[in-house]
Amino acid sequence: MKNTEHLIRLRRIFTQVVEAIVIGLALYASIQVTQPDFVKLITAAPKARQVLRELLAPDLFTRESEVVTVGVALPVPCGSAPEDEGRASGPRLEVEPKCAAERETVVVRGEELGKGVQVTLRWRLPDGNTLGIQRLVTDAEGNFEVRVQVRPIVATKGGQSARIEAEVTLPGGRITPSQTLRDVTDAMFVTIFMALLATTLGTLLAIPLSFLAASNITRRGRVGALVYYLVRTLLNLIRSYEPLVMATIFALIVGFGSPFAGILALVIVTTASLGKMFSESIESIDPGPIEAITATGANRVQVILYGVVPQILPDFLSFTIYHWDINVRISTIIGFVGGGGIGDYLSKRINAFEYSKAGTALLAIILVVWALDFLSAQIRKKLI
Amino acid sequence: MLRVEHLTKIYPNGTVALRDVSFEVPDGEFLVVIGLSGSGKSTLLRCINRLIEPTSGKIYWNDIDITSASPSEIRRIRRQIGMIFQQFNLVKRSSVLTNVLSGRLGYANPWLSLLGVWPVEDRQKALRALERVGIADKAYQRADTLSGGQQQRVGIARALMQDPRLLLADEPVASLDPVLAHSILQYLEQLNKEGVTVICSLHFLDLVHRYATRVIGLKDGVKVFEGLPDEIDRTRFKEIYGEEAQEVRAASL
Amino acid sequence: MNKAERQPAKIFALLSLILPGLGQALQRDWKRGFSIFLAIATAMATVVWYGKSGWYIAIILLWLWNVWDALNMPRGAPVAIAVLLWLGMAYGIGWQVTQVNPMALFTNTERAQSILRPMLQPDFFTARKEKHEGWVEIQVPCSATPPKAEKTVGDIHIRVQPDCGNLNETLIVTADGLWPNEPTEITWMTPIGDVKLLGPGNNQMLVVETDDEGHLSAVIQVPGSALAAAPDPTLPLPHRVYLTQTRPIGGMTLSTNGQYVVRGIYETLALALLSTLLGAILAIPLGFLAARNLMSGHPILMGIYVIVRTILNIVRSIESLILAIIFVIIVGLGPFPGMLALAIHTTAALGKLYSEVIEAIDPGPIEAIRATGANNLQVIRYAVIPQIIPPFTALTIYRWDINVRSSTIIGFVGGGGIGFFLYQWILIGDFRAVSASFIAIAAVVMILDFFSAKLRERLV
Repeated sequence: MKNTEHLIRLRRIFTQVVEAIVIGLALYASIQVTQPDFVKLITAAPKARQVLRELLAPDLFTRESEVVTVGVALPVPCGSAPEDEGRASGPRLEVEPKCAAERETVVVRGEELGKGVQVTLRWRLPDGNTLGIQRLVTDAEGNFEVRVQVRPIVATKGGQSARIEAEVTLPGGRITPSQTLRDVTDAMFVTIFMALLATTLGTLLAIPLSFLAASNITRRGRVGALVYYLVRTLLNLIRSYEPLVMATIFALIVGFGSPFAGILALVIVTTASLGKMFSESIESIDPGPIEAITATGANRVQVILYGVVPQILPDFLSFTIYHWDINVRISTIIGFVGGGGIGDYLSKRINAFEYSKAGTALLAIILVVWALDFLSAQIRKKLI
Repeated sequence: MLRVEHLTKIYPNGTVALRDVSFEVPDGEFLVVIGLSGSGKSTLLRCINRLIEPTSGKIYWNDIDITSASPSEIRRIRRQIGMIFQQFNLVKRSSVLTNVLSGRLGYANPWLSLLGVWPVEDRQKALRALERVGIADKAYQRADTLSGGQQQRVGIARALMQDPRLLLADEPVASLDPVLAHSILQYLEQLNKEGVTVICSLHFLDLVHRYATRVIGLKDGVKVFEGLPDEIDRTRFKEIYGEEAQEVRAASL
Repeated sequence: MNKAERQPAKIFALLSLILPGLGQALQRDWKRGFSIFLAIATAMATVVWYGKSGWYIAIILLWLWNVWDALNMPRGAPVAIAVLLWLGMAYGIGWQVTQVNPMALFTNTERAQSILRPMLQPDFFTARKEKHEGWVEIQVPCSATPPKAEKTVGDIHIRVQPDCGNLNETLIVTADGLWPNEPTEITWMTPIGDVKLLGPGNNQMLVVETDDEGHLSAVIQVPGSALAAAPDPTLPLPHRVYLTQTRPIGGMTLSTNGQYVVRGIYETLALALLSTLLGAILAIPLGFLAARNLMSGHPILMGIYVIVRTILNIVRSIESLILAIIFVIIVGLGPFPGMLALAIHTTAALGKLYSEVIEAIDPGPIEAIRATGANNLQVIRYAVIPQIIPPFTALTIYRWDINVRSSTIIGFVGGGGIGFFLYQWILIGDFRAVSASFIAIAAVVMILDFFSAKLRERLV
């Protein structure tokens, strides 16, 4: 009695020690290779904060606005070019005195530019180039007044005087979806369609394959067994690749950034994965009804139609919807490697450091994946 | 001596499980609680070791007030009160021996027990308890590999580890077939003869007649009967089980 | 059906004509009504968004179906028709939008062949070779007193004449002590390590065969680009002329790319292991916080539960590749950002699964252990932990399996592992290496699949 107890305890302790050593060694080697540098997470915090702040401020709507530019000529020195008449009303710029010599100071006044708006004040040089002066905000009446020094570079050239310009952005009031939001919506539609088409095509291909990979249907006789093992192996082989790997190859063949490449990759992966799931569902069917229908003298097709199909249909539908869910997720990233859709948009925006646009795409991904997740869960619940 | 006074339990959802139940259990008794399911039998047993907090009323065990005991006191009291359950309540993935040893937790060194280290005496005691219920050869198997009757014996062995002075048995045989039911109750009877007070809830009247020294009947949380097993006649039976239960009685008598 | 009953049906049909689904909703089948409304609304949104006016016909048909349905409530019209109409519209537009072009597969057969043919010869092993190499330094451009361009490396003696050269000048290389009757590669290396070819047009390897005594002589030209990257082209610097002989010595060894594949796979496995472990450790507390049965006691706990659940759901809906991109921006290229991304995704996924395990624990043993007089810690140790450890372990192994797959692609965005090499090879078109990594990925994934299934079987 006691002996067995000791033996069992010793054996357990031994296996535990061996397991601990194996896991420890594996971890040590992994850390050597991966070189996790958690300090970097802290030292990179300012950058992380900046990136995250932009990501979390998605660019969704823009206020429709009108850009008004008003200007006034300032001949330097006086008489080198005609002075402006000046308007009496509306957004306008006035300069006092109306002409100046180099290094003098003039007073620039903006009138009726809108209350409390941003004004960009700048020189428009005779050669058409601009030279910034300053940014300021108008007062409660929509006016501003500022002193500007006249620098030699603004001198009149070829009878053409420099101008002082004020650019004002007047909010028009209407809020419209931003260009980013439109682009993201567009890409999202493509993504969803990619998943939809791929799931459908994949399902259609998976159905015949699944029957070939079901041991209770196919594994009869030598030819049947051969077909069974061939199809099984093929499905397993394909399943061991991430769809993204396939997508890169297809992208090279049919063109980089084309949603079609993504669809092809998704179709293949869906076929393999659904083929396996379907075949398992076929293998687990109840042989009772099949026996009964065979007993009535039905042929093989009739047996499948009346004995098998009713048993597997709910499973098939449920798996298909489940896989559609997965495909939506995958198609959000398949664009990273040239598959088109929202992933394409996202990776381009990130590479261009446009994080708030990327944030918009991320938001869209989260929303769509979540919504479709919920929807498919509801439908599957109804099916089972 | 266990004394229950005016025990009432109302669940948060408003269900009245026990209403003003009072009785006494002298040491050495085999008290059987009968009643329909939902009549408050389980609640009553769980109030005694305060797995369920009573709403009002008092329970005294050897003149210690269980109902007002502090958490550490109630743990000391619980370790002297064994309990076995209808669904056995074993940890299915643990070994039989670990399940039995866990009955000793109230006595064990709290820190060593957390590491799974048990004194040799406790291990030997556990093996003896398993021998006593006739399944010593299963000690190192996983609990869920055992049959229902064997699992309940593990439950009894676990209770034995507590050196109980009182044993609460909540429908110990309801999930077992009749032959096994007798074998399990015989263990309880034997323990009772060794001086352990037993409070057991049961469903079948024939078992009540065979094992009980005294019977309490509950109906909708109210004590409707208290007396000897032989005193349960047709009218008493109707009081406890209701009009519709006539035929059940015919079957079980 | 008599007239009195038909009358309201017509009213409902009219209502449905005005707002799809309204008639159905008012006949108490609000779910059906809402679904119909949603279906027509989404269809309309899609058609309007893409401005494909031809597809309005599908919407009109759907709309009519909806009226028909309202007329025939409560039985309704056949749902299959509506579903087919909707899907037809979706497929039709989707086909155009996603630029499905099956012909592209055939018109590009040449490209496909150029990709697939090299893939039949995976670049994993190469014949084992022995190397025999010597070099000599020669000054370019010439100074007044160039050092003698002669050197003995091992048993190889090399002499170049004259001792220095200017661009495109001719030099004579003679060497002794080489393997006899073997092709010898002659290359030029600039002081900064650039290798220049010396064959015709300076874009082919110059190969000269040695004679019976291992003697070789060849005429070379100083490459025109020898001073291309030199900071001062007039400064005389020593360049090198290399003579290299290789010959097979039997057996196979890993090729250069094969070594990269092995390293990539090693990195991939390391990534998967670390991220799974880190994710599992982080997921345990979250799993408890996201378990409804533990957290439903108090409004504050319930609030924590809702927040944790929501966060887990949001993070789970972001693919780890997207997280990897963000981490690559923050901490730079390498396996570390990949590991972080996988770890975070793992935390979210396992946190949810763990919480489901905790929600499903059997309260019976807890009650039984508590009844023995055990304290709370003992109850957790003896009643809770034995119940959750095996499923936790099984789920973690399952997740490890997924992480191995994911870490094969996390390198596509710079996250380390085989994916990093694979993506580079795909981009530069080295399809023999691509094929080698494909084989390695399939082997590793399938083997681990098998082992993880076996391990999980033992646990459950």
